[in-house]
Amino acid sequence: MLAVLLAALPFLIGAGLGNSWVRVLDFVLLYVLLALGLNIVVGYAGLLDLGYIAFYALGAYLYAWLASPHFGLHLPFWMVLPLGAALAGVFGVLLGAPTLRLRGDYLAIVTLGFGEIIRIFMNNLNAPFNLTNGPQGMNLIDPVSIGGVSLGKSLEVAGITLPSTYLYYYLFLAATLLVIVVAMRLQHSRVGRAWAALREDEIAAAAMGINTRNVKLLAFAMGATFGGLAGGLFAAFQGFISPESFTLWESILVLCMIVLGGMGNIPGVILGAVLLTVIPEALRYIGDLQRATLGQVVVDPADLRMLLFGVALVAMMLFRPAGLLPSRQRKREFSAQDGVAEQEQASLYDTKA
Amino acid sequence: MNAPALLQVSAVSKRFGGLAALEDVSLSVGRGEIYGLIGPNGAGKTTLFNCMTGLYDLSAGHIHLEGVPLHGRKPHHIVEAGFARTFQNIRLFANMTALENVMVGRHPRTRAGVLGAVLRTPGARAEEAAIHNRARELMEYVGLKNKGRTLAGHLSYGDQRRLEIARALATEPRLLALDEPVAGMNPTERRQMSDLFLRLRAGGLTLLLIEHDVKLVMDLCDRVAVLDYGRKIAEGEPALVQRDPAVIAAYLGGDEA
Repeated sequence: MLAVLLAALPFLIGAGLGNSWVRVLDFVLLYVLLALGLNIVVGYAGLLDLGYIAFYALGAYLYAWLASPHFGLHLPFWMVLPLGAALAGVFGVLLGAPTLRLRGDYLAIVTLGFGEIIRIFMNNLNAPFNLTNGPQGMNLIDPVSIGGVSLGKSLEVAGITLPSTYLYYYLFLAATLLVIVVAMRLQHSRVGRAWAALREDEIAAAAMGINTRNVKLLAFAMGATFGGLAGGLFAAFQGFISPESFTLWESILVLCMIVLGGMGNIPGVILGAVLLTVIPEALRYIGDLQRATLGQVVVDPADLRMLLFGVALVAMMLFRPAGLLPSRQRKREFSAQDGVAEQEQASLYDTKA
Repeated sequence: MNAPALLQVSAVSKRFGGLAALEDVSLSVGRGEIYGLIGPNGAGKTTLFNCMTGLYDLSAGHIHLEGVPLHGRKPHHIVEAGFARTFQNIRLFANMTALENVMVGRHPRTRAGVLGAVLRTPGARAEEAAIHNRARELMEYVGLKNKGRTLAGHLSYGDQRRLEIARALATEPRLLALDEPVAGMNPTERRQMSDLFLRLRAGGLTLLLIEHDVKLVMDLCDRVAVLDYGRKIAEGEPALVQRDPAVIAAYLGGDEA
């Protein structure tokens, strides 16, 4: 059922809302990939990372370096995507290593700085040696091509024309399903339990024989790997990348997807990514609506977007603090009727002699 | 006590800035002993635990478990060497289920990594099943048979103490250090706990116990050491230590007669 629905989705959306919405659908899947990756770092291991988009940027730039006229390299995607994911993973460890002793706010600030450093490097590395083409970005990136069939052009199959956005949809869907399986299996494994223990109490985790340093670095590396994969797909899909795509705002947006949907819970994270990608697109129609009814645009949809975003987050904090689809455990953690019992106990075991 | 010691603590000192929390403390715990560590509040008992389990670096001294040096090692190495502990102010993974808490304790005795987990290799699956079974056995052993699915933070206080012990046992220790395991418990619960300790000892485990309950210490411990202001002021059989004038002075105040 679900498989048929997912397979038919671009046709349904293309027929119902127009082909531009299939492009939005592709971006939804990219953001799902990003959110699932960040969820490993933030949701599983409890390490607040505000520079996550840097790994997306690294994956995208590596793809552009190895498959565009910039250096005259045109390696196939099945080589470039894993390399991009691996490069991002290495940088995940490089970011993780100096921040091992930091938690919470302090970690957030350092990771934020890291994200900005990568973006600023990409913005300025056009001299002395033109690595990134600076703010102009890199163009004419090779589309993904499978068995000689380029996904950048529409494809004729059995009399049906599949536009490029449809083809990428299926590629992104495959990548997303892969990442979902990996994330789920990791969550319910020895490694996933070690991450959860780290999130809950780092000292107790160490006292249970967990090498907290390695487990943290592993979380950064795994999250970054997914980010790098998503970045490579993004570069191939767009054909053009520039530092503008990798701002702090993007990091915050991905984090919001996780928080809104339900941290640590895969269906919640997916829902968050879908909502926060689709709603801003839908709001564009408000501009048309105003023009049709009022004759002019009174409220800019872009402003409205930010306003609704803020309202949504505040409302969520008030009514569903654990997210829209919280994990079984976080729901219990936030549930009200247990709060009293927990408070009574807290007064017992929080006392230090 | 003629057999070689399981745990050998030699001239351990720990200073925080100018404050000497531990001063030249030495003690040895034999195999199969229940060894008590007592002393007034602030005497340095928990500090000594933290030094032994690698949470603090020593300022001076050595610690060996069966001849293997523990000083200067990371906490996870010390657990791997066979030294597990519980905490005075319970430190469970509150938002994980009770069973998951115990499963985390299997971490140092299992191997599966990312590849095993993602590919679900036969080895990784067998290991995961073994972790699950062992954790259930331990839950039953400490008397938490049907509490596996409860969040650790929602268990009653006494059950949380039990769960911490089950979690520590999951690491397969040779020496288990318990920091005030019966604090805040009623007499029935205390009796159940001391039964548990005796069962553990009968199973070959050595116990190191920080405790304030004098009756429990007298009944249970083979030997005790008394700490006061970071120094060991007495060591020996509980009945003898109880009559030691220095110990009486430390607890009741006043000059050492």
